[in-house]
Amino acid sequence: MSRKTDVVIAGSGPAGLMAAYMAARKNCKVRVISEGMGCLAIGGGYVDLLGYSEAGKRVEKPFEALKNLSESHPYSIIGDENIRKSLADLCECLKNQGLEMAPAKDADGAERNSLVPTILGTLKPTWLVPADLEGDIFEKAQKILVVSVQGFRDCKPALIISQLRRYASWKDKEFDPLVIPGPFAEHGRALNALDLARAAEREEGRKWLSQNLGNRGKNHDLVLMPPLCGSHAASTLRREMRNIIGCPIFEMLAVPPAVLGLRLRDAFLRELWKMDVEFFENSRVLRANVKDGQCVSVVAEASGREIEHVAKTFVVATGGTLSGGTILEQGKAREGIFGLDIKVPENVDDWTKPELLGDHIVTRLGVKVDGNMQALDENGKPCLENVYFAGRTLGGYVWTREKSGLGVAYASGWLAGRLAAEKVLGTGAAI
Amino acid sequence: MLTKEDDPNYVEPWLEGCKNAGISAKEISVMEALELEPNLAKDIVRVFRVPDSCVDGFRLCSHNKMSATRYGAKVFFYHQVTGINQKNGKVRSVSVKNAMTGETFDIGCRYLINAAGSWAGEVAALAGLHASITPDRGTLIGFNHRFTSRVINRLHASGDGDIFVPHGSITILGTTSVPTDRPDDTRPTYEEVAELLTLGEPLFPLTREYRILRAFAGTRPLYTPGGASGRKATRNFSVVDHSKDGLEGMVSVFGGKLTTYRLMAERVTDDVCKHLGVDEPCRTAEEPLVPEPKPEMLEKAKKYFPLHAISLMAARLGDELPKVLEKAELAGNNEARATGTHITDYAGNPLLCECELVSTVEVDCVASDPDSHSLTDVRLRTRLGMGTCQGAFCSLRTIGSLAEHGIELKYPPTENVFRFLQERWKGLRPVMWGLQAREMEMGRAMYIGLLNLDGAMNEQEN
Amino acid sequence: MKVRINPDKCIACTTCVAHCPVARVTPKFLGPRMIGPAYERFRLLALAEDESLTYCANCKNCDITCPQGVPVSSINMLARAEQARKQGTTLRDWVLAHGELQAKLLQIIPASLKNFGMLNPVTRYVLDQLGIDKRAPLPAFAKKTFRQAFKKIDQGSHSRKVVFFPGCYVDVYDPQTGLDMVWAFNKAGYEVISPDEFGCCGLPMIANGFWEDGKKRANNNLAELAKWREQGITVVTGCPSCALIFRDDIPEFYPELVEKHGLGRLEDAQDFLMECVERGELDLGGIRNDTEQPIVYHAPCHLRAQGNGLPGMELLKRLPGIKPVNANAGCCGISGSYGFKKEKYDIAQEVGSELFDIVRKNPCKYASSECGTCRVQIEHGSGKKAIHPVSILRMRMEGKTDPVVDEL
Repeated sequence: MSRKTDVVIAGSGPAGLMAAYMAARKNCKVRVISEGMGCLAIGGGYVDLLGYSEAGKRVEKPFEALKNLSESHPYSIIGDENIRKSLADLCECLKNQGLEMAPAKDADGAERNSLVPTILGTLKPTWLVPADLEGDIFEKAQKILVVSVQGFRDCKPALIISQLRRYASWKDKEFDPLVIPGPFAEHGRALNALDLARAAEREEGRKWLSQNLGNRGKNHDLVLMPPLCGSHAASTLRREMRNIIGCPIFEMLAVPPAVLGLRLRDAFLRELWKMDVEFFENSRVLRANVKDGQCVSVVAEASGREIEHVAKTFVVATGGTLSGGTILEQGKAREGIFGLDIKVPENVDDWTKPELLGDHIVTRLGVKVDGNMQALDENGKPCLENVYFAGRTLGGYVWTREKSGLGVAYASGWLAGRLAAEKVLGTGAAI
Repeated sequence: MLTKEDDPNYVEPWLEGCKNAGISAKEISVMEALELEPNLAKDIVRVFRVPDSCVDGFRLCSHNKMSATRYGAKVFFYHQVTGINQKNGKVRSVSVKNAMTGETFDIGCRYLINAAGSWAGEVAALAGLHASITPDRGTLIGFNHRFTSRVINRLHASGDGDIFVPHGSITILGTTSVPTDRPDDTRPTYEEVAELLTLGEPLFPLTREYRILRAFAGTRPLYTPGGASGRKATRNFSVVDHSKDGLEGMVSVFGGKLTTYRLMAERVTDDVCKHLGVDEPCRTAEEPLVPEPKPEMLEKAKKYFPLHAISLMAARLGDELPKVLEKAELAGNNEARATGTHITDYAGNPLLCECELVSTVEVDCVASDPDSHSLTDVRLRTRLGMGTCQGAFCSLRTIGSLAEHGIELKYPPTENVFRFLQERWKGLRPVMWGLQAREMEMGRAMYIGLLNLDGAMNEQEN
Repeated sequence: MKVRINPDKCIACTTCVAHCPVARVTPKFLGPRMIGPAYERFRLLALAEDESLTYCANCKNCDITCPQGVPVSSINMLARAEQARKQGTTLRDWVLAHGELQAKLLQIIPASLKNFGMLNPVTRYVLDQLGIDKRAPLPAFAKKTFRQAFKKIDQGSHSRKVVFFPGCYVDVYDPQTGLDMVWAFNKAGYEVISPDEFGCCGLPMIANGFWEDGKKRANNNLAELAKWREQGITVVTGCPSCALIFRDDIPEFYPELVEKHGLGRLEDAQDFLMECVERGELDLGGIRNDTEQPIVYHAPCHLRAQGNGLPGMELLKRLPGIKPVNANAGCCGISGSYGFKKEKYDIAQEVGSELFDIVRKNPCKYASSECGTCRVQIEHGSGKKAIHPVSILRMRMEGKTDPVVDEL
């Protein structure tokens, strides 16, 4: 079967959802096809922009550092202006659903990265944090309460405190650990952060949290806890708790299932539902039908058969190696839908350096694009006129090292979605 | 299995060889073989059943230590022999260096046994002796799941990549044979991995589709006095009494294979015992290294450990099972007291490693051992981080749990996790494609992208 | 059992854990990742099965959300079959798995008596003792089965033909939906054929561990489907679970049957009708106006798992006079017979609570969903009647605001 639409988006991670948001806002009929739920359940939650330069130097003011990135970096291709606009639209989308985020500001009002604690007790530079968080909270706070829940394996105050003390800027602070009892009467599987966040959202959960934290925050300047203040974008639990315990609360970055990432996803889905975006779930885009440099349709696997999706424009946001957007085989690499070749050395040993933290070819593989987010062929010419690439499909950056994952995803998704919609509108009215 | 690619004329001499060696070899139909092992190639030609078995190398080492300790031995891990001290043509002591602390000391002895495997030549050299040991690298591939329940060999003259071994929850394909000049040349290469996969396909046609967890390598201590190397060098072993070289009180065991290691031990101790005037017969061939776990203990364990995990854990722990059970009971009772509930499931003892089912108390117990210095040491004893996610979830959990319980290892947490992941990285590099590349990306996303482990390595103070 | 689906694709990312409706409401379920691919590696070592396997509802949200394409629910169903083979099954599960057979045995008894027999407090007490919760909304037998009613319909003459696979829910409990389906196809110019040879799709059996019974059904159905395939006539069903099992489960679980009969295809009836609309064979009529009737639509998990979007919802969107809104509230909780079981009833209600809430709060008189047991659960949880999208289509096309009820 085949049913037509304006814009097909392959992938429902942050880049795909952002592209869908932009295209739908321009009144295009948008269809998202996805094999799974994307990576937001896996990581992230605060939005990184650029935490480290390509040379590994920590970045305070990302917009200053963006200028120094190499030409082939996606940020250089997207451009400052577009990055700023994409972040503004991102914040608006999240705010519509009750999730207000903003970058921290210096005393003079200049925006900068925040160095936020993780549940490994490390600090990580990130850009968007909850808007109600005081910009200098991590510098100013002297007495800190580190909270976790009995039986929760992923977050141990003893570890976090010992680790934070190993940072020069944190070592003179005072810490208190607090492990509160779990929210469930019955025992069962080991709890994860999402179980706790969902439990806390219920009426008895609120009681559980406020009773256990109630008077414990009084003598502290800051409470660090795993992300357990609700699983929805609209959850007001953290702010409520802040009022109850009388001091700011920061939810630390945590391992999957990533509550913070799911809140971002929740916000986007609700915005997209409002705009009637279609979702074809559990369907992997297998290949494309291309004619004269134009993509006519993509063919997706749907429960043992193939479905052809015809559209005017296409956004590819299928992720990198992790999600199968880039396919690695013995000595070969290619983009997953159009089969675009990605050059790699034949000997797999040359894909990586022996040192885990070295600079590995394999971590920067991806599609090369121009400023229109269109794939370039061997001669550097755009080869697919109505196809736009976004997110980790792109090559030329190492998001893990730079801490630029969500930033690139949202900025490139924003641009790809916008361009895909404009092309539809330019070639005639939307369906 | 005789595959299409093997020489059918090899079968008869091989059968003859089995008969002479007293090994039963019974032909079964290909259909029956496929019934037993459905993942085998449909086009195999002939199948013979032979008695075979496999050992868990990690477990074997730790059980050996337990057994020796039970008989009064003192075992020094992470100690390097730096000198062999002799007086009047007789060995008096060895000098050793603690690799963890740098401390050096001498250990006096009446007799020295050089059983250093690939390093045996270097140890002999410390005593001024020459021994032709040629280290020979063998690379193996560990697959994510158990697609065969039996050891499967190709029926041909012994060669590379001709054996699949089910090993606990995984399957191992081995082995290559590449001469090397270093006993510690244990870096697997892509070239060897690629070759192994090609050689494995005639037995299991889906070999390339199965997810590879990692590749790993070791060196064989080939004893090559005649100058042979590689597959041509003998896998037999030699016990050499160095009195023939003019040095009393030292015996070396050169060459050999894991399959014969207890025979090697028997021969060499019999030899030493003669010199020491002990005539007790050697019992290593009859005696298990660690006793079988008692059924009532396994029954009790059901309260504190997931059902799946018990037999595996009991098999790993050996002598230490009772201690771990006791700790689990304590943890369960504490949890019940703290939460005001009765003990159910395995409260108080959650799994830290869900891929290989390793629980908190087991990790605590092993990590508290003075011989455990790092997460990697804990891994070697427990299989922590050796399953599907290759340490993505359990490194954080373990480091947190140890901090909570006040158990300190040699390295601070960030470095400990880094070293653990670095060790995993070594095995991932040559297999960085397909499904395992995806897993690798997730590990990097979590530790580098999300938790900023790399930043912390530079920014934290020690 | 020879079929083994291997756990290799799982990278332990926990996305399935985050989206599993059962794990969300009870800590008794270890969650799809552990019970599925993680434990599968140990099942291959022939170690003991974990109790919590029975908590998997086979709703397939793990499959839907997995970014790696791991067949989690299939791994679970195979493990359950193995467990049933080793430990045996319960009478309760037999009863729930074999509704079709019970209906056949009771065929000669009038529905009122049957329902008195099945639904009176004494029987419900006995069933409760068996493990079927006395609060569970067991559906009532219809006066006549769909098949009985179908034979009496005068379809008129049509040049095109389509084969309809009713599925046991429509056949035994809800013939009206089947009649509405026939009505809609007739309107589009299709004569409907509904062969008696079609039986239960087998899903209730597989989900309850009755592997061999499921295989028998699959064998009969595939043989029948092969006949129509040879004649080039499309076979459709209104039930997403029936469609799904022929697409995904049967080829995975019983590959030898597919080898024998070829792939059996059941197309989505709503999708088929949408195509009729697009081809101009079916005119939905009317014009949109301001006083459109609100309908809350619930997408069954087994429909979402098919990668074919939501054709039923698309149909409703095209229908003048109807203002459908997608509840987007995830699983309803029932998962076939899961929510009828005593130890699962509360879990199922909790899973569906967000959906019930949305249906209750919406000003709609009716909710809509393709799946029969989803509808039962929605009615039970929200107190509002739930009907099939094609029934809504007929209702609107006949110019009514309440569903059409045919004389049986």
